[in-house]
Amino acid sequence: MTRTTALVVTAVLAGGLVACSGSAAEVPQDENARLDIWTRRPPGDPSEQVSKDLAKAFTKKTGIPTKVTAIFDDFETKLQQAASQKDLPDIVINDTAQLGTLVDQGIVREVDPGEVSRTKDISDKAWDATKAFDGKHYAVPFSAQAFALFIRSDWRKAVGAEVPKTWDDLDALAKKFTKDDPDGNGEDDTYGWVVPGSTKRGYASWYLSSFLWSSGADYFSGSGTKLAPAIDSPEAAATLSWFQKSFCDKTVVPGSETAETAAAHPYFDSGTGGMYLTGPYNMARFDEAVGEGKVEVVPLPAGPGGEATALAEGENTYLMAGSANEAGQLKFAEFAASPAGQKIGMNGDENGSIVRLPINTTVDMAAERKDERWQTFNDIYTDASRYVPTVPDWTPFLQSSAKTFNAVASDCEADPESELEALAKDFATELESQRAGG
Amino acid sequence: MTVRAVRFPRLRGGLTPWLFLLPALLIFAAFKFVPAVRAIEMSFHEVRPYLGDRWVGTDNYGTVLSDADFGAAVWHTVVLAVGQTAGSILLGLVLALLLEGTARHLWFIRTAVFLPTVVAVAVVAEVWRILYFPGAEGILNSVFGWFGLGPSDFLNSRDSSLSSIMAVGIWRGAPYDMMIILAGLAGVDRSLYEASAIDGAGRWRRLWHVTFPGLRPVFVILLTLAAIRGLRVFTEVFLLTNGDPQGSTEVLMTLIYKLGLERHDLGTAAAGSIVLLLATVTLTLAVRARRKVGTT
Repeated sequence: MTRTTALVVTAVLAGGLVACSGSAAEVPQDENARLDIWTRRPPGDPSEQVSKDLAKAFTKKTGIPTKVTAIFDDFETKLQQAASQKDLPDIVINDTAQLGTLVDQGIVREVDPGEVSRTKDISDKAWDATKAFDGKHYAVPFSAQAFALFIRSDWRKAVGAEVPKTWDDLDALAKKFTKDDPDGNGEDDTYGWVVPGSTKRGYASWYLSSFLWSSGADYFSGSGTKLAPAIDSPEAAATLSWFQKSFCDKTVVPGSETAETAAAHPYFDSGTGGMYLTGPYNMARFDEAVGEGKVEVVPLPAGPGGEATALAEGENTYLMAGSANEAGQLKFAEFAASPAGQKIGMNGDENGSIVRLPINTTVDMAAERKDERWQTFNDIYTDASRYVPTVPDWTPFLQSSAKTFNAVASDCEADPESELEALAKDFATELESQRAGG
Repeated sequence: MTVRAVRFPRLRGGLTPWLFLLPALLIFAAFKFVPAVRAIEMSFHEVRPYLGDRWVGTDNYGTVLSDADFGAAVWHTVVLAVGQTAGSILLGLVLALLLEGTARHLWFIRTAVFLPTVVAVAVVAEVWRILYFPGAEGILNSVFGWFGLGPSDFLNSRDSSLSSIMAVGIWRGAPYDMMIILAGLAGVDRSLYEASAIDGAGRWRRLWHVTFPGLRPVFVILLTLAAIRGLRVFTEVFLLTNGDPQGSTEVLMTLIYKLGLERHDLGTAAAGSIVLLLATVTLTLAVRARRKVGTT
């Protein structure tokens, strides 16, 4: 009895010690070692299968075994846990906006674009999204996307409106969607805008950034290590006032002040709101929910005094630190960015695509996808989009601006100008602590 | 032989309780004590899981305590804790008094009433978000409309957001309190009711002079549990509002979550957790001390 107990105790303690040991230092290399791939997808979603198909095609081509893990909720937290156990996956396919955080934590490897095969085929804009504050690259591009305005075309026709070309048109259409019963059910239950206005993951700022840029406003002025807050500009104040007004005029779906994307999408699905600035990944979902041919995709019009600019995003293939197969890591990233890898990821017009817009310029998207709305997204990405500002760590700025935008949107008495002045002060402090302020 | 017979039981007597405790202690050590010690250690470091931590002294505590949001979060947490505790106990008491008894239909109703407590919080939050839809066509707002009230913004206005979360907390917590109070009611000596009835006490006086004094230990337990639970409130707030709108529902745990897991500033988040731990311990000891004073 006591002996068994002693054995159990020893085993538990030994297990604990093993878990605590391990080091970030040199790892012996094995060119055939299995690659663990983490991807930010909801488990069970069609995109998980497409991710597995991509890995399978890679294994078939190179003989290197792979294991794909789809994680969606708390992806970054789970990555931190893996980091603290010094047992990171080999590959992580995740948002471009996570770059600064990953570099800051020292858990991604530097990539020399010159060493990547057929590097010239990958678009320069996509390469830019792999560049950290220090000017070095820390990933290989995988997928790109830009935001566009989804409009219920059947509603628009029902209220007799044209496709909006200016922000005044947007306001007019939002009012009509709210007041003119576009779904014709005789009830006052529709709204103009669907907005993820929560502070969670910085959604309010993430959403509003396209509008800010399109009106000529910006988060910072200057470049490199000489950045200064520019979020208190008159243009930014005007945009935030406009945003606030749409909430106070009730042309935004009620409840948007606390809605994250998971809560906002269903408002479009269910025919509660008729306009939604979001990414191409929602096309298949919305078509299925409201019916094909009823959802049109148009570029966000330019704001007063600005040029139309939408938020560009995408995903990178990150090569994680401490891998036992560094050569294999690079091979996978190359394969994922190659025409073959990109085609698998695009998944035609089907739901579950993991490559929204190909980053490889030799891929002909029109040949893979019949839906012309993809071309609209491609044009916006190429000509009228930009990534989030390059700072050492974007998250604190995203969070504090989301908090300010949320506060102004949910209080019709709030003064956008003074709120933005306070935000600019926060930005200045944060820039200084990240050693990026000039 | 006799020596052995004397020594062995004594040795066993000392070890046996520890042997029985060992599995629980090991599990507690792995999942509670070790992480707690690690949290204390983290609170004095800039935590970098992969690169190794950097000692920063009490900087993290300085950051947490000087944060303007921290004071507001403490206030919201206290308001929510007091409101939910009082509301749950009051509603739980009413439910318990209504549903006390051994009849079969009461058993059925008690089970039905208990359901909110056992349903996953995520489901509860989703259902309440739908009920609380702030448009005039929302479910609760439609009901309000029949009485010429509303529509209310519920979770989406800083004036009503905290009380809306509190209502969900009470709705969820009351049945739990009801169960504990029911158990307490069963323990009240029946002969005291009879004696007081013979002495001419009416329903209310019996409640005041027999039932409530008999339930005193139950209230102490409920208050202790609720105080701890109240300070650690997280899931309902996180799922319903995440501290929005305008930070009007930010509580300590959502603030700590944002610092640690969204901004990846685990050191500061750990410092916040330790402050919360100290507050919880202080409060628990205070309740216990009061209880001792009350009983002696």
